[in-house]
Amino acid sequence: MTPLLEIDDLVVDYVSADRTVRALDSAALTVSAGETIGIVGESGSGKSTLGAAIGGLLPGAARVVSGSVRVDGADVTTLRPKQLRALRREQLGFVFQEPIGSLDPTMRVGKQVELALRGWGTRADVLAHLERVKLTDPERVARCYPHQLSGGMAQRVAIAMAMAGRPEILVADEPTAALDSQVRDDVLDVIFALAAESGTTILWLSHDLPAVAKRCSRVVVMYGGGVVESGAASAVLAEPRHPYTKALVRAVPAAVADGERLTSIPGQPPVLTGSAPGCVFAPRCPDVLASCTEQRPPLVSAAGRDVLCHLAEQTVEAGR
Amino acid sequence: MSWWHRTDWLTRAGLLCLAVLVLGTVVATVFGIGGDPEAMVGPRLAPPGGDYPLGTDQLGRSMLPRLFEGIGTTLLLSTVAVLVTAVIATLLGIAAGYWGGWLGEVVMRLVEVLYSFPTIVLAILVAAVVGPGQTATVCSIILITIPLMTRLVRAAAIIVAQRDYVTSAVISGAGWPRILFRHVLPNISGTIAVQGTYALSVGILVEGGLSFLGFGVQPPQSSLGALIQQGSTYLIAAPWLVIVPGIVLVVAILAINVFGDGLRDSLEPREARSLV
Amino acid sequence: MRLFSWWLRRALSAVVTLFLVSILIFAASRLMPGGFAEVVLGPFASPEQKAEVSARYGLDQNILVQYWLWLTTALTGDFGISMISGEPVTTEFGLRLPVTAELTVAGFAAAICLGVPLGVYTAVRAGRGRTAAVGRLASGLGVSVPEFVLGSIVVFLFSRFALGLTVGGYVPLSEDPGQNLRSMVLPAAVLSVFVIAVTARTTRDAVLTVLVEPYITAAIARGESPWFIVTRHVLRNASIPVVTVLSTITAYLLGGAVIIEYLFNLPGVGSYIVQAVGRRDYAVVQAGVLLAAVVFIVLNTLTDAAAGALDPRFGTGSKARRSR
Repeated sequence: MTPLLEIDDLVVDYVSADRTVRALDSAALTVSAGETIGIVGESGSGKSTLGAAIGGLLPGAARVVSGSVRVDGADVTTLRPKQLRALRREQLGFVFQEPIGSLDPTMRVGKQVELALRGWGTRADVLAHLERVKLTDPERVARCYPHQLSGGMAQRVAIAMAMAGRPEILVADEPTAALDSQVRDDVLDVIFALAAESGTTILWLSHDLPAVAKRCSRVVVMYGGGVVESGAASAVLAEPRHPYTKALVRAVPAAVADGERLTSIPGQPPVLTGSAPGCVFAPRCPDVLASCTEQRPPLVSAAGRDVLCHLAEQTVEAGR
Repeated sequence: MSWWHRTDWLTRAGLLCLAVLVLGTVVATVFGIGGDPEAMVGPRLAPPGGDYPLGTDQLGRSMLPRLFEGIGTTLLLSTVAVLVTAVIATLLGIAAGYWGGWLGEVVMRLVEVLYSFPTIVLAILVAAVVGPGQTATVCSIILITIPLMTRLVRAAAIIVAQRDYVTSAVISGAGWPRILFRHVLPNISGTIAVQGTYALSVGILVEGGLSFLGFGVQPPQSSLGALIQQGSTYLIAAPWLVIVPGIVLVVAILAINVFGDGLRDSLEPREARSLV
Repeated sequence: MRLFSWWLRRALSAVVTLFLVSILIFAASRLMPGGFAEVVLGPFASPEQKAEVSARYGLDQNILVQYWLWLTTALTGDFGISMISGEPVTTEFGLRLPVTAELTVAGFAAAICLGVPLGVYTAVRAGRGRTAAVGRLASGLGVSVPEFVLGSIVVFLFSRFALGLTVGGYVPLSEDPGQNLRSMVLPAAVLSVFVIAVTARTTRDAVLTVLVEPYITAAIARGESPWFIVTRHVLRNASIPVVTVLSTITAYLLGGAVIIEYLFNLPGVGSYIVQAVGRRDYAVVQAGVLLAAVVFIVLNTLTDAAAGALDPRFGTGSKARRSR
């Protein structure tokens, strides 16, 4: 059986006139239907690029250097435009960070939802879709222009439009980052409830590890353009294997026992210009080995956990 | 010169073209290539070739030195006018954008008034008041280029005035001359450079148009516009009198515009997005 | 309601600008060589005529009274007498206005019908590298060829060789519409090149700006086709800056018409003003400049109002937040 989503050895560069930045460096991820995945990483870790690559939505300056992104076996990076559009319509849904900006400022909300229903929708369908995302006064919202909505309302509208076609995969790129903290949970509730109802697989991109671990079945940690660790949410949070994940967990206020110090990760996230010779986390890693800066770390898979680390390799071998 | 690395071949070609035009003219004028532009040396309306590479005009003057003189006059008048515009527009734009208030209101009103005239119409009004000639040309270019440049400098100054480094300079008690010269001016210099470049091409265009109507540079002095104006009488019999200065005019304006576009793109690069 | 009050403010601001423009033209008319009596009557007027004008415009009174008399006279449509023909300037303008109007309208139509589609096409098909540079060169060429250079070349080509159209020989529209169109094709085409290029550039810039907006990415992510996205989302959003530039284009057309009429020997207002400056017929110059400014200010206000109607955010203050 082919997995729902299979990203393999994906390398993406951003090319500008004066320099090239590597956004994804051999990123790999496999997702089966029905999972809820949380992809966690700092800004610059490549998670947004990864999310965009799933829909073939990379900006003009991006170049796919190598690798593949397969949705139901079809490689997004090589699909013809027409097939790619069909794939986006039928199998994918996207929710973005900027809720009001994601809606056309010159068109009434009702009309936009109607367009998202692709001519199948009547007025009543439009209102039904707005009701599904728990908007209290769908009639009024449908008559509004986007700038007349609050961020939370606009994001619900965007979710209604993204979920209108009952997609197989919903990519939500920091959907609550621009919202007030009070409405964040409500919006996430709506996303997860709708997805469960439609049998949609969620890929939630976030920088908030505990929030992700609370709602998702699996957590994927990205650093420096690659996936460094992935595994069951509770296991990753409770027992992180990769030094970067460990540092992330230690930087979370709730995870630290009273009286213990919150530790920040020393150093800056990397800006890669080409393929890294060794481990990208090596310069900031507290447990760095001699081999880390020279050899790329191997993928160590054990007990449903994938870790990209020299140290993990040794631990596993020592355990044998 | 970090922006230079971000420019493409077309931008560099534009700058090169302009440099060749300016240097060529300077060299030709200094060494008197082609002879005396005022001397009536040859047959009238001779076609290009032989002793007169670009032909002769209706008085038998060789066109080559007249063309060099014309390029020199046009570029000189435009440059002088644009430099004046740059100074005035920077002062007005910063006054309107950084201080704002009633001063900004007054400045923008005055600019709006100047902006209300179609360019060549404003130039004609100036020529009617001060009389045709070089003064009218320079004054027209200044008045025509001030509005747009002032508006854009103001817009840039408004943005810069809200930046943190300006706020912190104000809080740390820096006087306004220091803030303006250390913080505001350097950060709007890109806008001034780009708009100055565009203004130069407008200046050349205005000089050409005004002289073509007979209100700009007056004979016997030549400018690109004046050459075209004088040649247009003999357009059918001696088209080279118009076509050669016309091409030079187009090349000069094109080179400046292309360079300005490239300069703008390198100072504020824009994203691109394809729809598929 | 908010839009209405915004329009009202905009209209008031236009009136203030018109008022300041009138002061400027008034001042210019007093500065013209020969004094104002000569501006109105021409240099060969008798002392009695000068005395009459002097009394009518209050030339012996203080400058504010003079301005008031000048303004009220102008508002009644009286701009004095043309020195050359002896007819009222208003009558002379009435005879020539159709020519200028025909040229300007043709140029405007060309800008919209050709410039806008060209701009949208080049933006959506934005090539990179070499293609982008070629596109830049082509659009750059369009805005870099002055109408007097292009016009001269066209006049030369069509006069020297039999290319189907003749230069000159203007026939009024009322006399023979077919002949009139034949005589206007070349001038209108030459006048249009620049505005088509400017409109295409502005449209291209506007479309490129819209294309990177998040709602376009969202539409692409929903699997919409390029055609759908352009017609449903891009055009309306990009039309706002394009509409505002139309007034600038009108200003250019009014100025360009002056040169085109002079070059092609068309009996329009523009060539009339050029002749008037040469003959020191200042009453005509003053009225012509005022006319051009009034037309431009009115159109500018109208296009701003149209832009306001196109953008639901207008006047609400939330536009400032969206525009970076």
